[in-house]
Amino acid sequence: MLKKKICMVGEFGVGKTSLVRRFVHSIFSERYLTTVGVKIDRKDVTIGSASVTLMLWDLAGEDELTQLNVSHLRGASGYILVVDGCRASSLKKAVELQQRIAERLGPLPFVLVLNKVDLRDKWEVQSAAVSEYGWPTFETSAKAGSGVEEMFLALAGSLLSANSAAEDPAE
Amino acid sequence: MPSDGPARRASSDDQPLTELRAILLGPDREAWDALRQRLENPSRRAEDVAGVLAEAVRLRSDVKLRRALQPLLEEALQLSVQSNPRMLADALFPIFGKAIRKAITSELDGMLQTLSQTLEQSFSWRSVQWRWESFRSGKPYAEIVVLRSLLYRVEQVFLIHRNSGLLLQHVAAPPEAGQAETKDPEMVSGMLTAIQDFVHDSVSGAESENLDAIRMGDTGVVLAYGPDAIVAGFVHGVAPRKLSRVFQDALDSIERKKAEALRKFSGDTSEFDSCRPQLQACLVGQGRAEERKAGSWTARLLLFGLPALLILAIAGWWIYSAVVERRWTDFAHRLENEPGIVLTHTERRGSKFLVWGLRDPLAADPASLLPAGLASSNVEFHWEEYHSLVPRLAAQRRLAELKEEVEKRAFGFATGSAEIVPDQRFLLEEVGSQILALNQAAKVLGKTIQIQVRGNHDPVGSENFNSALARTRAENVRLALIAFGVPSPLLIAIPEDLEKETCGALMEQERVVCRSASFRVIGVP
Repeated sequence: MLKKKICMVGEFGVGKTSLVRRFVHSIFSERYLTTVGVKIDRKDVTIGSASVTLMLWDLAGEDELTQLNVSHLRGASGYILVVDGCRASSLKKAVELQQRIAERLGPLPFVLVLNKVDLRDKWEVQSAAVSEYGWPTFETSAKAGSGVEEMFLALAGSLLSANSAAEDPAE
Repeated sequence: MPSDGPARRASSDDQPLTELRAILLGPDREAWDALRQRLENPSRRAEDVAGVLAEAVRLRSDVKLRRALQPLLEEALQLSVQSNPRMLADALFPIFGKAIRKAITSELDGMLQTLSQTLEQSFSWRSVQWRWESFRSGKPYAEIVVLRSLLYRVEQVFLIHRNSGLLLQHVAAPPEAGQAETKDPEMVSGMLTAIQDFVHDSVSGAESENLDAIRMGDTGVVLAYGPDAIVAGFVHGVAPRKLSRVFQDALDSIERKKAEALRKFSGDTSEFDSCRPQLQACLVGQGRAEERKAGSWTARLLLFGLPALLILAIAGWWIYSAVVERRWTDFAHRLENEPGIVLTHTERRGSKFLVWGLRDPLAADPASLLPAGLASSNVEFHWEEYHSLVPRLAAQRRLAELKEEVEKRAFGFATGSAEIVPDQRFLLEEVGSQILALNQAAKVLGKTIQIQVRGNHDPVGSENFNSALARTRAENVRLALIAFGVPSPLLIAIPEDLEKETCGALMEQERVVCRSASFRVIGVP
């Protein structure tokens, strides 16, 4: 059984918690986010014959007042950057967070999620602006549920390939 | 540059060639010289390598370099320790010092806890059971005490990867009624790690400390930490401090066995399946509350019966002592109230009762005043004699004096005669008035007396004659006393025929005493 720690990060209110709410197994209340600063959920993904258990650390969103608690990132195998399509600032925050995480944890598989695709006509974030980073990007709607499973599958896939690369280290 | 040598040898012949070479290679020649100098000069070469060494090591961060460096580093460390151990000790102190302090504190805590429990239970019924169990099983008594004294049960044990908070292994005790159900162990494991981070972040100065235990009501979490893993146990009841030692030992053994797997952990938990036995060894527990409540009747009887019996015995003894004390006090009062007895001091010595005082010889026998339940062997009297002025005793004494006086008197007779000699008439008056006084004194005391008038004779003469003579002598004295005024019922005349020995071989002048009539008072003790 393969288990991986995944962190969900992003600006405050981009919909991280809503994004996973319908797709994961959860026992903890969302109050933990405001008290402990993190809520842990579980997502089981099967790719081919391999099954991966993703332990999702939903980290409290960052804003002007709250800093992301970097100690929660320790031991993570990958992460999900969540951006609210309706807020350009959230993309800027995601880019900044990506840099900070890469500095701390090194190169790790991650995906960028453009949430609230159901409100596309109100979007401030242009897909072109996102694609210039060259990151694996998914457009999701926590409300409609579209794109979420695909996002998890893709992340699990890149984790699996990173894992097999690590298991056959080149001398 | 290989062309340099031949060029020198043929300097004169190849002048044009040399010139050509100078023209062609002139600008590079200086660089070459400089290069040659760098290569040939060891100190320059060292400077060059030093410039790139760090970068080179960083680039070559694979196993080969590590293997190559390992013996060097080990030897270097060894040398360092040999030459100046202080330096390494100083460097390591911040890490070890804290750990050692913590270990000592925890050990002391545990010892104190055990000690206080042991003291509490030293004299209980349970301790007797434990001593027996220790004797039977051969285990040290202290171990039995620790094992049996706390009620707790480790219900679940988690092995958690310290860095990621991922659950490596989880074991649970068979479920029991009333046991709190733990939800998804994977998430619990993660959340425990998160809470640990949360505490670290919230409490400043606690960065290097760990959360040792979490309690919520009856259930708690006991944690043990290693460099790469955490063992967390959910405990129902009061966990003994020793429990964290059990956890720590299990964790240490796992960390030793799986050091490599833990360090390189990338999500595959199947490698830790073999750690289950160590974790299962942590599923310890002792004495459920129900068992304790039930208890055996004998134990309870002994536990509560013995003190009750003891209390009863003490109470009984106290009552008995009070009763005995009361009896002695009553006896002392009776003695005090008895005429002719004066108490000066009384004392209890163990079961003995000692009495000091004054006693008139005529007073009642003190032993006869002992009440029922008090043995005369338990009392010891120390009397001083005295004469009491109590009227009854004074009368008694007077009576005794008069009796003595009367009994001293005797009428003498001439040989063969029973006639009262005339010059003994005064004696008749004396004896008569003494008998009257004696009678009076006896009446005061409520006594009746009689006076025997005894007639005697000397051995001379026939027995028949003498016998008649003695009777006549007694009768004559009696009649004379009646004539004096003594009431006749008081007097009895009897011949006293027992003078053979007394008067047998006497001289004539002594025989006078035998020819007499004497008196004996009857009715006075």
